[in-house]
Amino acid sequence: MNGQPKESGYVQIRWIPKYTFIERFLHWVHTVSFIPLVATGLVLFLPSLQALAQGEAGIWMRLVHRLAAVLFIAEPVLYGIVQPLRLWLNIKEFGIDRDDLGWIKNAFGYYVLGKHADMPPQGRYNTGEKMNGIVMIVSWVLFVVTGLIMWFGKGIVSAEVFRWMVVLHDVTMIAAVCMFLVHLYLAVAHPLMWAALVSMRFGVTSASYAAEHHAKWYYGPKRARELYEAQKKHG
Amino acid sequence: MKRKAMLIDESKCTACRGCQVACKQWNDLEGWSYSKTVNHGSYENPLSLSPQTWTRIKFTEYDDANNFRWLFLKEGCMHCGDPACVAVCPTKALKQKPDGRVTLERDLCNGCGYCSQFCPFGVPQLEIYGLFSGDAKSSKCTFCQDRTDNGLLPSCVKTCPAKALFWGDRDEMIASGKKRVDMLNKRGFVNANLYGENLVGGLGRLYVLIEKPEAYGLPADPQYPVLTTVWQNIVRPLGKVALGAAIIGIAAAWVIIRRNIKMEEVE
Repeated sequence: MNGQPKESGYVQIRWIPKYTFIERFLHWVHTVSFIPLVATGLVLFLPSLQALAQGEAGIWMRLVHRLAAVLFIAEPVLYGIVQPLRLWLNIKEFGIDRDDLGWIKNAFGYYVLGKHADMPPQGRYNTGEKMNGIVMIVSWVLFVVTGLIMWFGKGIVSAEVFRWMVVLHDVTMIAAVCMFLVHLYLAVAHPLMWAALVSMRFGVTSASYAAEHHAKWYYGPKRARELYEAQKKHG
Repeated sequence: MKRKAMLIDESKCTACRGCQVACKQWNDLEGWSYSKTVNHGSYENPLSLSPQTWTRIKFTEYDDANNFRWLFLKEGCMHCGDPACVAVCPTKALKQKPDGRVTLERDLCNGCGYCSQFCPFGVPQLEIYGLFSGDAKSSKCTFCQDRTDNGLLPSCVKTCPAKALFWGDRDEMIASGKKRVDMLNKRGFVNANLYGENLVGGLGRLYVLIEKPEAYGLPADPQYPVLTTVWQNIVRPLGKVALGAAIIGIAAAWVIIRRNIKMEEVE
């Protein structure tokens, strides 16, 4: 531009839409409900936080846990009511195919070691994002069912059922928090994964990033496959 | 420290319910203001343990084909040798004292209610002040911890006019309970038995019963809930390892990728 050398100029980025306003808004509603839920739940889980679980403090923790739970339960339900087609579109993206296997094989080298690996073309969500999404959906259902039974079911369900709910709630928490930690790391700290946070803030993703990381979404599955095979041939 | 226990001789109990009253008086529990007496066709009152009733006489109408009679059972916390409630309590409000008493400090309780659901006997009672807020408190018999801490008898034992209640070293209580059972057997109560010697780690509340435990509605073989062990000894330790490993693994991955990416930039 204006005769300046390219290096000192700016990079032109073409932005393409990825998430609707409602999706981004509800994502952050989910965040501000999930984090207090984990924080107030952990006081019952970690003996080092026991002082916060006792007496008045503990009663407050349990109240905050319930208030956050209302948001946590309402958020996906609202999404289903306001944008049911978008919800369906997203769920359809969670299908699994052979490219997921290739992704898993190369994931460690790519995400941890930073090697340029032959990543098979990915859809709107890559395998890791799909895993995160599936864990989130399953854990949401488990959290809500076990949580509501513990909240309102005391004395209605048998003690044996209640005990299962308590243990399942814990197991679900462990899986969901591990997944959340990975999700958080990739979103805010991983040096290569800058695009995810941009799209969750502004709803758009860069076209070049999408072409490279989500080829099946960007080019369509057939063209993405051709490009991938061609690239592999030329090494 | 020697384990203490309460021996309850149901063959002597007259169901005067002095123990219920003494318990309410000493522990400042509400009576009429909490739950009204309702006629439901029996002298039994109230119908069940409640947050304000830590002990009560259960009336069982028992007909063994020869004659009808009442079986009286002084219900309350069993003070198990392996108390599941203590294992699941996240606040340490419930404690097992060196002498075996399972005590409850209500100040520390946050009302989670796990104790009420994990108890093999369903004893701890949860007072729910607000269903939506989750505000609640647990309560149960503590063997009058403030009395027994100071060498006094639990208030029910102190008051029992039929001399059916005893308090002392558990070994002695078992010995005198067995002696009493022998005597009852000789007198024709062939089903008389001592309940609780070896159940759930050995109960701190021992009963001399004149019929089989089932006739009183007592579980013949109560079990420490398996899920308590699964939860506390497997799920929780593994969960902590998993969470710790996730944090350490992510930190390590971050250090590695930072180094490798910088190296690429240098190239």
